[in-house]
Amino acid sequence: MRRLIVSLSLISIVATGALAKKEVPAPTNKDIKQKLLSLVRVNVTGQPYDYFRPWQKKAPVSKRALGAVLSKGRVLVTADLVLNQNYVELERAESGEKTAANVEVIDYEANLALLEPTDKNFLAGISPLEIDSNTVVGDRIAAWQLEPTGSLVATEGLVTTIQMTRYPADVAQFLTYRISLPMQYRENSYTIPLVKNNKLAGLLLRYDPRSQLIDAIPAPIITHFLKEAEGEHYQGFPAVGFSFFPTRDPELRKFAGQTGKPSGVYVTSVEPNMPATKAGMQVGDIVTAIGNHEIDQNGNYVDPLYGKIEFTNLISAHSYSGDVLPFQIQREGKPMELKVTLEHRDAKDYVSPPYSLDDSPKYIVLGGLIFQELSRQYLKEWGPNWQHEAPARFVYFDRFQSELFPGEHRRIVILSQVLPANNTIGYDEVSYLTVTKVNGREIKSLNDLAEAVKQPIEGGFIKIETEEDPKQIELDAKDIAAEAPDLQENYGIPSLQRLD
Amino acid sequence: MLGRGIGAGFVIDGNRIMTNAHVVSNSRYLTVERDGDPNKYPAKVLFVAHDCDLALITVDPNVFKNMTPLKFGGIPELESTVSAYGYPIGGERMSVTTGIVSRIDFQLYTHSSIDQHLAIQISAQINPGNSGGPVMQNAKVVGVAFQGYSGDVAQGVAYMVPTPVISRFLKDVSDGRYDGYVDLGLTFAKLQNPAQRRYLGLKDDGRGVLVETVVTAGPCAKLLRPGDVLLAIDNHPIASDGNVDLEGEHVEMPEVVERKFKGDQVKFDIWRDKQAVSGSVQLDTVPPYLMQSHRYDVRPRYVLYGGLLFQPLSLDLLEAYQPQDLRLRHFFDFYVIDQLYLEHPDVVVLTNILPDPINTYLSAYRGGIVDEINGKKIRTLDDLAQTFAQPADRFVINMIGDGPPLVLDPKQVEAARERIRTRYNVVREENLQEQPSAKTTAMQTQL
Repeated sequence: MRRLIVSLSLISIVATGALAKKEVPAPTNKDIKQKLLSLVRVNVTGQPYDYFRPWQKKAPVSKRALGAVLSKGRVLVTADLVLNQNYVELERAESGEKTAANVEVIDYEANLALLEPTDKNFLAGISPLEIDSNTVVGDRIAAWQLEPTGSLVATEGLVTTIQMTRYPADVAQFLTYRISLPMQYRENSYTIPLVKNNKLAGLLLRYDPRSQLIDAIPAPIITHFLKEAEGEHYQGFPAVGFSFFPTRDPELRKFAGQTGKPSGVYVTSVEPNMPATKAGMQVGDIVTAIGNHEIDQNGNYVDPLYGKIEFTNLISAHSYSGDVLPFQIQREGKPMELKVTLEHRDAKDYVSPPYSLDDSPKYIVLGGLIFQELSRQYLKEWGPNWQHEAPARFVYFDRFQSELFPGEHRRIVILSQVLPANNTIGYDEVSYLTVTKVNGREIKSLNDLAEAVKQPIEGGFIKIETEEDPKQIELDAKDIAAEAPDLQENYGIPSLQRLD
Repeated sequence: MLGRGIGAGFVIDGNRIMTNAHVVSNSRYLTVERDGDPNKYPAKVLFVAHDCDLALITVDPNVFKNMTPLKFGGIPELESTVSAYGYPIGGERMSVTTGIVSRIDFQLYTHSSIDQHLAIQISAQINPGNSGGPVMQNAKVVGVAFQGYSGDVAQGVAYMVPTPVISRFLKDVSDGRYDGYVDLGLTFAKLQNPAQRRYLGLKDDGRGVLVETVVTAGPCAKLLRPGDVLLAIDNHPIASDGNVDLEGEHVEMPEVVERKFKGDQVKFDIWRDKQAVSGSVQLDTVPPYLMQSHRYDVRPRYVLYGGLLFQPLSLDLLEAYQPQDLRLRHFFDFYVIDQLYLEHPDVVVLTNILPDPINTYLSAYRGGIVDEINGKKIRTLDDLAQTFAQPADRFVINMIGDGPPLVLDPKQVEAARERIRTRYNVVREENLQEQPSAKTTAMQTQL
């Protein structure tokens, strides 16, 4: 019972704090209306592609969120809200007035997007939120939500940890606030602004209702995103392209030639064509500092704001693509400096792209055989437990792609399914195969496959070779062409291929 | 861990008692009781066939006095009635249940979890304790009850080992040794697609299957290659759905091999590059499959070095540790079909670490697969043991993948050796051979 009382009192304090300092008397609802919250409702209709039937989309879903109104008439939301969106609409909290909006910039890796209303005057009278980048452990932050009436519900929580975690796109570590916050989660809102002293401190990234812990995209990441969004071409967060391991083990340090003070991280791999390799970094180097920031054996540097935190924060939060960072390394004990020019790594540069969210999936339907390119988005069709439920070999390719296909600019073409038809009689048990060759040509993309099938082998056959059993599948090119209209008709396939 | 279990068995000729392999597997002490006889008789295992879940045991010859051995019948007709005898859920007195023969086909034998043989599904209730008991028809044994489903999956579905499998087992052991099932070591696909048949130059006669993978360690590696079409086996035409007519029955092609023994020949008529050829292979077991199979009565192999426990990957290992590691799963799943055993006859895994100051920073390496030590490829557990036995300034162990090397100083390992042995009560630091356990050895000497 006591707990309930405490949290209720918290709400009233925060509701006050949202508008004014604590010593000011609590405002009435009337005051809130007059001052106009820097929040708008965002209603999105999204329609994701169906990777199992790549020529069509799934049923539309409605998503709701609360966007933070920023300067220059922009609204900040999370990227997962506007994924595969068909229509985005902003709604003023106090009046219910609505307008359509466009997605101006989206960053899937940092899970952030900027919206702009089509009606430029739509946000008139709403004072934009400033951004507070100084949150530290122990600060109190409030989650802002709205009552159906449009009035504010603010719930306050405590920042317990600030650390590097993986964001949903799972390509890199980003700074994250963890907040202990007993929130009443309303309307399954995708985006919830987190506010400190009336300034935006972060956006909700994920919420665990059982432990009542929130992970938040912190202000420094938001600032990074906004700063780059001001420029002409949005590139995205920078990458270096190496993996590392702590040097706590004295034997490993000795092996790497480190004799002095224990420090730095051991480089376990460098990715071809990425900044680390271009700068000359090698496996076995120990990275001891970036600029003036020394890195300890656990991979942490001392941040002026947070204290010890993993050095990757120096790259993702503090640097931009194109920046040159001096890496201090030790190679066989000798200190060296490498000038690393940071680059953004685009999803398209992976063998199995980690996300390909708004792109329509490529496919080719040939006589009833469906060919696609392997991507994590495809694997995620198997649901939250996809790593154990999707075809094991495909998960393995995706997980170990940099090791299996180092530096290769290619895709993995898969034969994902077979639609029963005259041409696929006897092939009905075939699925989830990796295509190696078609008509004798090596296949490293769906475009390769499209080209290869144009030239049937002797006898007018199309020969498909796969890594797995049955290892070979043959079709008759003429028969395929003859059956194509029926196939399209029967299975409702508007086009038998999409290559762009 | 000690456990106690009971099953059933029945007396056959030669003072032998037949039961299931899973009844006697890993047994330390075995006794036999007779219905209506208060005595317990210590028993010896004569033969165990883990691949078809059958075993033969024996007791003091005097026990068999006045007992009539049971005789075997053939394959019972579908829908005919059979009776299962045994001791379901324990009890002193024998229980009899009846049912009908519901289905006859190939089934996975769960005892090894990799072998598939003919099995007969019956509708008689079979429960734990029925295992090894005879299923009778017209006073003859037509099967040995051996597996079923737990009640929440399916009811009234039980399986018995049929007489062709039993007589194959009895014939195999007649030379005093059980060799086990032989395997072709290949996968094949049905050839029902008209375009594919035309491409291969085959007639439209509904014959032939396509060879997909030929396991290098298997008997067919010298004769067959992927893309070959198998037209006949031992002069029995193979239909394009993979079936052959054998002694008046329509059975799957591997059934021809099921009835054969180690060293027997099998002849194939092959269609290769639009030419008819033929050839024979000598049948043998395919050892790599053992890795994916449950093992019994063998001692697990391991090497303990510096508190680091190295073990070869196997089904039992995976089940014991249940690792979520995708790489380990890949090496297990694709060990045979991708022929990973060629490079890694043993997939040597760092499975566990007995904590000690010398390995306190090494927990992140757990679950790794050893690739090289000091630049030398580690193909087997023996390679690993030999490498560690040789003098070196240090051992740099590279795991498969792009993780960091694991570095050990042999001097420190030696210094910690006694400490680890004492602290963890380590009796032996390595076992490199799957020696049969002591009891089995003693038994074999008596034969």
